[in-house]
Amino acid sequence: MANAVAAVLLAAVFAGFCTLVLSGLDRPVDWSRAWAYRESLWRGWTTTLGLSLAALLGSIVFGLAFLMGQRSTLPVVRWTCRGFLEFVRDTPLLVHLLFGYFVIFAPLLSRPLAGLGWDDKVIIGIVLLSVFSGAYLGEILRGGVESIPATQWDAARAVGFGPWQVWRHVIFPQALRRVLPAIAGLFVSLIKDSSLLNVIGVSEYFYNTKNFISRSYAGLEGYLPLAAGYLVLTLPVAWLAHWLERRFRDET
Amino acid sequence: MKLDLHNVTKCFGATRALDALSLRIPAARVMVLIGPSGGGKSTLLRVLGGLEVPEQGTVTLNEHRLTGDPRALQAYRRRNGFVFQQFNLFPHLNARRNITLPLEKVHGHPPETARSLADQSLERFGLLDHADKLPSQLSGGQQQRVGIARAIAFSPEVLFLDEPTSALDPEMTAEVLELIQELAEAGQDIILSTHEMGFARAVADEVAFVCSGKIEESGAPQTLFGAPVSPVCQRFFSRVMRY
Ligand SMILES: Nc1ncnc2c1ncn2[C@@H]1O[C@H](COP(=O)(O)OP(=O)(O)OP(=O)(O)O)[C@@H](O)[C@H]1O
Ligand SMILES: [Mg+2]
Repeated sequence: MANAVAAVLLAAVFAGFCTLVLSGLDRPVDWSRAWAYRESLWRGWTTTLGLSLAALLGSIVFGLAFLMGQRSTLPVVRWTCRGFLEFVRDTPLLVHLLFGYFVIFAPLLSRPLAGLGWDDKVIIGIVLLSVFSGAYLGEILRGGVESIPATQWDAARAVGFGPWQVWRHVIFPQALRRVLPAIAGLFVSLIKDSSLLNVIGVSEYFYNTKNFISRSYAGLEGYLPLAAGYLVLTLPVAWLAHWLERRFRDET
Repeated sequence: MKLDLHNVTKCFGATRALDALSLRIPAARVMVLIGPSGGGKSTLLRVLGGLEVPEQGTVTLNEHRLTGDPRALQAYRRRNGFVFQQFNLFPHLNARRNITLPLEKVHGHPPETARSLADQSLERFGLLDHADKLPSQLSGGQQQRVGIARAIAFSPEVLFLDEPTSALDPEMTAEVLELIQELAEAGQDIILSTHEMGFARAVADEVAFVCSGKIEESGAPQTLFGAPVSPVCQRFFSRVMRY
């Protein structure tokens, strides 16, 4: 009963808010404007999808590298890794993108990449995003691996597994189970953060939508599809995260 | 089995877990390590099992002289079985997979052979009905029996057991001890540590009393339990036999 009342109240508040917003608009919503820009928006969305997937793979590579680096037997490698991770995690992604693109990579790589016929902004953007996400992933993985008790390492060595087999068959499967929900959460952030690549001029979904909005003076017609476009990408990952979380909670 | 330890020292930071320990056993089927908590039994077993490398001294088991070389140690561990106090099954794999995985990946058996070997040893220990359960769904005694089944599935040269029953209640203890006794009677070479004095006495043909990282006294069970020479040993027995 109380729940039903709350539902009605919330719906009323939401409806009221929407009416207020809509009546505040100085012109009627006109979807034909968005339709005129459909190709550019679609291209932007597929770019966002593609670069999110690429950065996802890239962040796995960097994440594993950071994990191994932090577990290296050489103290220098460990310290360097830690320092780098701390730097990456404690500075804004926006700074990495601007600094990494305009100061470091563009002067070095733009010409060779253009020579290959590749878009340097997209490639460098993917790399920078991968490093950023990889830093978090490395920390998540390290936490997962460290949560595996020492007795599991003993047992794995005792049955005769070699160093690689210990990781492959005993440590990774268990660590991954524990951190999969966190990893899924990280990937949701990665997809959203890919919108920041607009600052270095990658024509991804946000960039193209922004162009459309400023050129055609659109409002709602631009922002609603923008939010929806990202939700289509992030919701499946978020659901996967919740599902995994529930599954592994039941298992233990 | 034949065992020769000479001046073995193993330190953890400032603790000397093994302190210039020497022991020579020319022939034994079942050797039991007893002694006070913190005396160094587990450390000695881990050194013997190739899980820990001592800083000093030489260890020879049968004709294998242990070295610090990781590859040689891995090859050595492949030949022997090790059972832990806390069972240490792989929690993400069911009982059968816990046994078949090493058989396939370490000993190179094809999956069907691995499966039939695993089912044989599960059957032998009355665990076949539980083959598809995860370790967390098994009782402590069942987990430990799976642990032993895993360790003997590939017919190890020597089976090491570190306090295999001290995490179990009395009934489960009995079921695991019976199983170990069966293995011993079937001719398996065994080195184990235990706080179960009655069991040590019944199953051992060689007992070593480990205390402060040294072998305080060793010999046949009748002698060691019947008439211990060392005062430390005598005091230990008078204390543990009181209750
Ligand atoms: N990994 C380790 N790190 C630090 N100290 C250790 C470690 N393993 C053992 N020790 C120390 O070495 C000594 C011997 O320990 P060990 O576990 O071998 O004794 P134990 O005879 O097996 O005792 P218990 O009967 O309680 O199992 C103890 O003082 C212990 O604190
Ligand atoms: Mg011990």
